[in-house]
Amino acid sequence: MALEDALWNGLVREILDRSHLWRPEDLAGIVDGAARRLGIGVTIYLVDHEQQFLRPLGVPGRPAQEPVPVDGADGGRAYIAVETVAAGDRWWSPIVNGTDRLGVIAYDLPPGAGGDEDGLVRRCEFVAGLIGHLVTTLNERGDHLRLVQRSRPMTPGAELLWQLLPPLTASVRDFTVAAVLEPSYDVGGDAYDYILDGRRPQFVVLDAAGRRLRAGLAAAVVLAGIRSTRRAGGDLLAQARAADAELLAQFPDARFATAVLAELDLDTGVLRYLNAGHPPPLVLREGKIVETLDGGRRLPLGIAEADPGTAYGEVRLRPGDRLVFYTDGVTEARDGAGEQFGAERLARLVEEQSAGGFPLSEALRRLARAVLDHQDGPPADDLTLLLVEWSAGAALRTVPPTSREDEQVE
Amino acid sequence: MTSEILSVSTREAADGVRVLALAGDVDHDSVPRVRDAVEAAWEDGRTRIVLDLTLVTFCDSAGLGLFVEAHRRAGAHGGWFRLAAPGGPVQYVLDATNLAHYLAVHPTVDDALTA
Repeated sequence: MALEDALWNGLVREILDRSHLWRPEDLAGIVDGAARRLGIGVTIYLVDHEQQFLRPLGVPGRPAQEPVPVDGADGGRAYIAVETVAAGDRWWSPIVNGTDRLGVIAYDLPPGAGGDEDGLVRRCEFVAGLIGHLVTTLNERGDHLRLVQRSRPMTPGAELLWQLLPPLTASVRDFTVAAVLEPSYDVGGDAYDYILDGRRPQFVVLDAAGRRLRAGLAAAVVLAGIRSTRRAGGDLLAQARAADAELLAQFPDARFATAVLAELDLDTGVLRYLNAGHPPPLVLREGKIVETLDGGRRLPLGIAEADPGTAYGEVRLRPGDRLVFYTDGVTEARDGAGEQFGAERLARLVEEQSAGGFPLSEALRRLARAVLDHQDGPPADDLTLLLVEWSAGAALRTVPPTSREDEQVE
Repeated sequence: MTSEILSVSTREAADGVRVLALAGDVDHDSVPRVRDAVEAAWEDGRTRIVLDLTLVTFCDSAGLGLFVEAHRRAGAHGGWFRLAAPGGPVQYVLDATNLAHYLAVHPTVDDALTA
């Protein structure tokens, strides 16, 4: 046991020592080389943007591995459930950066290594967690890891937008937020934002008019205005006014954006929100849509500096509630016969998914897939879904199991 | 998605008001045609414009953007830009985006001309 710990500590030390000077393409070989000293082979897989395939990082001197589908494979199960899956001598552990799902690691264990199973799972998930943080920092150093995560090239609009957005999933002790944005390689004007600080998290979903890079630029202006004002202590009203002013200044041709800005008070459960011409968010309680948030209405962002509307919408949530934010690309997705996906179908699917017991990020991936499957051909518009669940259980489900115990003790 | 081809027909009403009647989908691809017609009205010195939406089957954010732009521009020059007779789908997006009260929307072309 002590020897095992020393060996795994050595593995971690070697990876960290090498992490100072490495290039993005060095990651896989260095981790595999360090693990070989324990007789273990390691392959790192990163999920692609559409979350359909886990794509392997090449290791020098080894034959290339095939991508692993998220649906219907052992590696995919580890990704879906955020937990280690043992398949004979090949074990799969989820790679998360905090709670953002980045991929999986395949560990090829020496025969009989699974003796102390609990201890081994813990070590596998521990190293995978470390890799999650390292992948995130390495992504800033070059293009290699980003390219592995792509099944095709990205448009300039998508390049701009993804740089602006926070991770798809983030959790703190008593709630979790997850988002999905499609079409991943060609998004333009949809965007989201959130902050998890303190007892008053905030959420934004927006849809800038127009397409591609032009729309992306407008979305960037909105996010910049909102963030600047928020970080200077401005409330939601002030944030929306800032977005109005910045859009009007930058786009005289009426490049407006619809948006919902919301703030949840975790001590009282009161959600305050503004709706700038956007589809109304939904509240899901015990598996049923119980409320459509149609208050707080004001003009879209960037229409007028005078009298855009100043009334907040307000609703009191209960612990366990889910909030569903979406853009019209979701409800207006059309099938071959021209039938729209619609708010009712969205509500029904959200209800069905909530019964699945999946991590919120996975429930959302399935929802987005249902919309895309409904769609005849490539999406005519960007679609964004953002879910918030106010519950400690939902937060824990986004954390690998062997890290959950420490979380609960706190 | 198959979109209805947009047509724009132009006529003069009394008092030098330009009426632009649209038929089909107003979207990202077709909106330049509407913009051209609005520009032509401006070039002819027509700062009071009615957009007849009776036969418009769909309107996306590009169309709304043009309405806002034309509304602002007319207002700044002492004219006006009025929307007339939006059908269900167009009224829906005007309501959903809260723009129905910002833009000048009238139930019929006659109402728009005499408002």
